Amino acid sequence: MSFLKPRILVATLSLLLALPVAAQDGMDHSMHMHHNHDMPMGDSLVWRMAPMDGMTMPMMPEMMDDVPETGAFLPGFGMDVSMYPEARPSEIIDMADGDTLHMDASLVRRTINGQELVMMAYGGMYPGPLIRADRGSRVIVEFTNNIDMPTTVHWHGLRLENAFDGIPGMTQPPVETGETFTYELDFPDTGMYWYHPHMREDVQQDLGLYGNMLVDPTEDGYYGPANREVPLILDDILMDGNGLYPYGETTPTHALMGRFGNVMLLNGITDYNLDIEAGEVVRFYLTNVANTRTFNVNFGGARIKVIADDVSKFEREQFVSSVVIGPAERYIVDVHFDEEGTFEITNAIQGIDHFRGTFVPETHVLGTVTASGAVADDHGEAFAEARANEDTIADIDNFRRYFDKAPDHNLRLTIETNDLHPMTMRMMEVDTLYFPPIEWNEGMPMMNWLSTGDEAKWTLLDEDTGQKSMEINWQWEVGDVVKIRVFNDPSSFHPMNHPFHVHGQRFVVTHIDGVPNRNMGWKDTVIIPVGSTIDILVDVTNPGKWMAHCHIAEHLHAGMMLGFEVRDPSPDSAGR
Amino acid sequence: MSEKFLARAGFLVLVAVSLMVFPGQQAESAPDSLDPVCELAASNDYYEIDLVTTRKVSGARLAKGVGEVSYAQSPFGISLSEDGSYLVNIDVSMSNVKLADDKALVAWVTTPQLDQIIRLGQLDENLKVSGQTDFNKFLLVITLEPRDMEPGAMWTGPVVSRGMSRSGLMHTMAGHGPFETEPCAVYGY
Repeated sequence: MSFLKPRILVATLSLLLALPVAAQDGMDHSMHMHHNHDMPMGDSLVWRMAPMDGMTMPMMPEMMDDVPETGAFLPGFGMDVSMYPEARPSEIIDMADGDTLHMDASLVRRTINGQELVMMAYGGMYPGPLIRADRGSRVIVEFTNNIDMPTTVHWHGLRLENAFDGIPGMTQPPVETGETFTYELDFPDTGMYWYHPHMREDVQQDLGLYGNMLVDPTEDGYYGPANREVPLILDDILMDGNGLYPYGETTPTHALMGRFGNVMLLNGITDYNLDIEAGEVVRFYLTNVANTRTFNVNFGGARIKVIADDVSKFEREQFVSSVVIGPAERYIVDVHFDEEGTFEITNAIQGIDHFRGTFVPETHVLGTVTASGAVADDHGEAFAEARANEDTIADIDNFRRYFDKAPDHNLRLTIETNDLHPMTMRMMEVDTLYFPPIEWNEGMPMMNWLSTGDEAKWTLLDEDTGQKSMEINWQWEVGDVVKIRVFNDPSSFHPMNHPFHVHGQRFVVTHIDGVPNRNMGWKDTVIIPVGSTIDILVDVTNPGKWMAHCHIAEHLHAGMMLGFEVRDPSPDSAGR
Repeated sequence: MSEKFLARAGFLVLVAVSLMVFPGQQAESAPDSLDPVCELAASNDYYEIDLVTTRKVSGARLAKGVGEVSYAQSPFGISLSEDGSYLVNIDVSMSNVKLADDKALVAWVTTPQLDQIIRLGQLDENLKVSGQTDFNKFLLVITLEPRDMEPGAMWTGPVVSRGMSRSGLMHTMAGHGPFETEPCAVYGY
């Protein structure tokens, strides 16, 4: 394909990412009303008060009657829920090299917390089908869009051919309702990956459009022994007594902090349980698909050993007390349940009550593991050893000479505002004493809800050129080793953690706040805490036109993305 | 702990808060991209702790000091304890201090309520020491102690310098700013 000029690209991308949500049959989006908090849901969708779980701050009179400057939107609203097929639990699809999977995105019926909801699903499943294939294979996915919004599918973490990366306006046109697009997926790296839309993720991904891809090793003994393998997809969703809380129609709401859910989902359900035999070592493949929430996962006191990062094993396996996982990250962990009992899988955090100025411990039970009897094949001894992964070490050895090179790019994460609610502006200017490294909870639901992608402009600032976000179009060549220094500016209007994702390549984190990283794995997404300076070293291998962006869905749609182009100078790449 | 001790401790906290100097928030200037050597940031400046002298200890009345804060090594970049508290390294360094041969500086961290105290360690001949804490809010306290003293659970000597974690700056909005009419007592203050 011929590449668009940067300015045209910016305009095209901005247009596509902000595409108004297509009207559902029978829906009237012109009926959003202001000053309607107390109105019951009727035939038209109107804003109602945002859920205020755990909020201690008194409502400020100036904000009482305000609603976001965009209409309220829910796919399938006003339709008879029973007309949609009931979604079914995820299935594993084993695929051999050259196989084709026909998969659609569609509206489905699901029940969460006793409420019947219209949601979205890939292949009619929650999560979407788990595509399982061997490293080195290539599979085809014939994707059909059966939702009433344009969409694409992004195959997160795969170093695949650029044309199939799923970026509207950059690698493909949007897949309109009823259309089909054929993706060809390459799996060069062992590990757990995931797929999701790259248009209005804040809506489509949140409503269930996500699934895993498990790439199996082709070597024996790649991982240590385990009794079973279990994918665990972490998510949350925002609900109230009337069901799903509406989304912004033309632009996301919750643009400042992202849309935190108040209902926790593990593999799409609220009551997840895994039955095992006592003594088992369970290999969990963790993926965080939440719009904005970072999780701190425990397994009820069972011992945890972290094995692999997004795109490779770690240099050394490591025992940890919990697993910190930001949006879009994946970790592979072995957990040893060495005795009988019920083990709660929890998210244990120290939230912040901004009004009281205190940390608030919170524990969300995500699911349970029930261990009974005794496992015959005991891997406890092997589990107790933290292995050094010589293959990963040798791979990274090729890059160590670049660890201390000067940065090729210096990126500052910041925010600009445009007509934010005056009270929000004032409050943010007053409340500047402390910003936590990570926002673990929804600390300001009203102000956050009112902020939209039109008013909060999250920005990636190239400090070397002064270019911002999609003005940036870095030029690299295959074979380059590029160091990017990312600084999350704590003096910005609203500093917050950002999970920074680079498409189509892999990178290692070499330094965190100037401290060398002693145990690396290849990644595609890294959390940038507030105030931190993170150095990443990108192994540039994959030609094409790519993106890097914050993976908080609302921040992405509020502009926090940049472009880069990788050229292949080799003679046989002419014309690519 | 005695009431007298608590009263003194409370006073110390107030003094520490009142003397707090905020660290700078600007990033270090980016090195020249042609420079083959990477100039690294020393720590996360935003969470850095300035140590403020009490001016009460001879030889340390003009002491300067800083507690540099970084995350403990973790495969996840940021390091947390099981309950979600941040696990951080604190690298303490002092200067402008002249000590008698039989005296040493010792670094401690303690909660704002002073109900938990952890000894980070005795500063070395370069007036540096490193340690860890998972307190969400804490005070960093430097005291003057006998050089050969057995490590104890609580300081015995005078406080030379003290500072507060950035999170310690958080306080209730009740009774302040937009909520100045909100009675603090309703919220437990």
